[in-house]
Amino acid sequence: MSFRRVLMALLPVAAIVTVAVATGAGAAPTYIVGQARPGAAVSKCGMGTGKKATGAPIKIDGLDMLIPGVDFTTIGKVAAAYFKCVNDNGGINGRPIKYKLYEEALNPAQEAALARKMIQSDHAIGIVGNTSFAECGTNWKYYKSQGYIVIGAGVQAECYSTPSFAETNMGPRYSNLGAAQALIGAGVKKIAIASPDTISAYADSAVAAYGPSKGVQVKVFPTHLPVTDANTIVQQLYQFAGSGGGIILDFTPDTAPALMKAAEQQGIVDDVKWGSSTPIANTLMASQFSPAFDGHLWINSEFSLVSPTVGPDSRLMFAILKKYAPSIAPQSFGQMGFMDADFATQALMSITGAITAKSYNAAVKALHDVKTDMLCKPWYVGNLPYHIANNTDITVDYKSGDVVVKQPCFEITGATDAPIRQTRVWEKKYHLNG
Amino acid sequence: MNSVLALSIFGVDWIFFKPYIVLGLALGSVYALSGVGLVVLYRATGVLNLAFGAVGAAGALIAYWLINHTGTPHWIAYVICVLFGGVLNLIYGVLLGPAFARRDPLVKMMGTLGLALILLGVMAWRAPIGGAFARFLPLPSSNHIYRIFGTVMNLTEIITLCFAIGLTLVITIFLRVTKLGTAMRALADDREISATLGVPVRRVEASAWFGSGLVCGAAGLVLPDLLTSLDYSALTFLVISALAAALIGRLHSLWGTLLGGIAIGIAQAVFAPYESITRYRTAAPFVLAIVALLFFSRKRVVTISGTAR
Repeated sequence: MSFRRVLMALLPVAAIVTVAVATGAGAAPTYIVGQARPGAAVSKCGMGTGKKATGAPIKIDGLDMLIPGVDFTTIGKVAAAYFKCVNDNGGINGRPIKYKLYEEALNPAQEAALARKMIQSDHAIGIVGNTSFAECGTNWKYYKSQGYIVIGAGVQAECYSTPSFAETNMGPRYSNLGAAQALIGAGVKKIAIASPDTISAYADSAVAAYGPSKGVQVKVFPTHLPVTDANTIVQQLYQFAGSGGGIILDFTPDTAPALMKAAEQQGIVDDVKWGSSTPIANTLMASQFSPAFDGHLWINSEFSLVSPTVGPDSRLMFAILKKYAPSIAPQSFGQMGFMDADFATQALMSITGAITAKSYNAAVKALHDVKTDMLCKPWYVGNLPYHIANNTDITVDYKSGDVVVKQPCFEITGATDAPIRQTRVWEKKYHLNG
Repeated sequence: MNSVLALSIFGVDWIFFKPYIVLGLALGSVYALSGVGLVVLYRATGVLNLAFGAVGAAGALIAYWLINHTGTPHWIAYVICVLFGGVLNLIYGVLLGPAFARRDPLVKMMGTLGLALILLGVMAWRAPIGGAFARFLPLPSSNHIYRIFGTVMNLTEIITLCFAIGLTLVITIFLRVTKLGTAMRALADDREISATLGVPVRRVEASAWFGSGLVCGAAGLVLPDLLTSLDYSALTFLVISALAAALIGRLHSLWGTLLGGIAIGIAQAVFAPYESITRYRTAAPFVLAIVALLFFSRKRVVTISGTAR
């Protein structure tokens, strides 16, 4: 074999090795946990026995969307980590939870096929941790026909308008509305709001209705993902909002940073008030954008601060991430995954007879007054035509690399949103949350 | 005051569009820079390098890693990013270039696509995107912001524009005046005859690969700052806009490529405020390239061979 042929064979190897070694530490930085006070109480995973569960597995499945610019699989991965903790602590009466997470690429045919696979092939008794731009709309009728209620984190309208989903979050529509409430309270007269174009019609319409009722002009900017030209998008938003106006960014941490960096580059951070939905309310984002954005943000956070000092559930989440998912930084997606799995576990633990799909989903429906330090009010499911259990939240800002509360728990307004108004009627009528 | 002073030509409020034109100029300069690199390589070797963006993206990730994980001084990381592009291109050109030399242009192009896919795969494996984590490669020059004609521009954007124009000028002079440049032009005209006349073909091609690679690295360094995000897949596929710029220059004219790249950047930016067409902005490179190709071939006679029946 000639020397040149050997070299040609080695070329791809050399290229791979060089780039692999050099880009390897481009992986996410390790998050250092260690803020819990000594001796502080920590919630237990499931039965909390400290012994591994070894019985017949209980099958639970989940389905998360992964597309360029949006990665919801973090939610399912944290749910998986929680279930591992449950299994290491006695499982459910000695039976481990076998959790399988599927990914989908915003493809309705794929979503429908996977829903059938989970129920008919895998024989999963429950579905937990689902998050997608479209899956609720694709599968809600199928889940209803099978008697399943999915505990997940929603985005689109069907997640909050059908009986098949019980979401731990309030979704971008109400999170954006909360941000708009905060910005209007801060005195803005114009709001420019940008969301991914696949969800914009639903996610932004609540703000578009509420703003004018308060004498505030609102313009919606549906944004195609992935964002490749953050500067022109930010320029459009700024040109509408104007000096002193409000801009609401409704994007995940995959996309929001590019827009925020563009705002810094264009020197307009100080000139407008920046609102956002929940996903950027975490210390990793704060460390990247502090001090430039300190004092200029009104982020609507559907959950408590991402901090182990908040309470026992938060401390448990940090401990679970550290042990079972060290590559995942603590963030709101982690809180969603944690609560999805926690509430599902509580439903499982409440079953007195055989654990079947029927008994599990009945137990999910019976959940009410479920307390956690991650939410402003107790969570519930109930026998309702739709569920918006998480409808009260906080406003946060960045300060010196950390996330701080700017406005404590307040109710998302039902002034221009009928489902929220009806939800509050049911809460009182059926004593769903205390 | 703005509306009073607005320079209205054809009913367009240029005050409104100024910021978009500036943004488009900056991005268009990178397309132009990349297009010039593509054209120089094509003229010397007959290869359309589809791995241009991927090589630049890999160099940018290496620079990111050096700065954020090894504490390497920024300027050393920048130099390594640029040199990485040159060296990787050179290795490809030296080892695989001769093997493809006698193949038709489509096969040569597909070879570079293979390199792009390998690099994409390695980057996805070692530096996956996602989670609450975003990479940035900001350049220190972006901290210097100026107001020019009432519009904000940062020093990186100004340098990029000047560099694109300067590089085009330098390469034009280089190709005309220097021995190596003349040899590259000879190769572009006819490789076989040039070899017969004693032009050191392999050395000239290697120089073209290396030079083009340096431009890859430079584009890879600047683009993450202009796009405010180090997204290797977005950087890789920006070769499409560079290719469109090269097509506008007919894969021959460097100044045509420069103007084409800048036109693409400006077109993409100024279409942004129009709601009805904003989501089709990414088609601007293709549309402009098609229009240019149709325009340049408008006076060509179309000959259909075969017996008329």
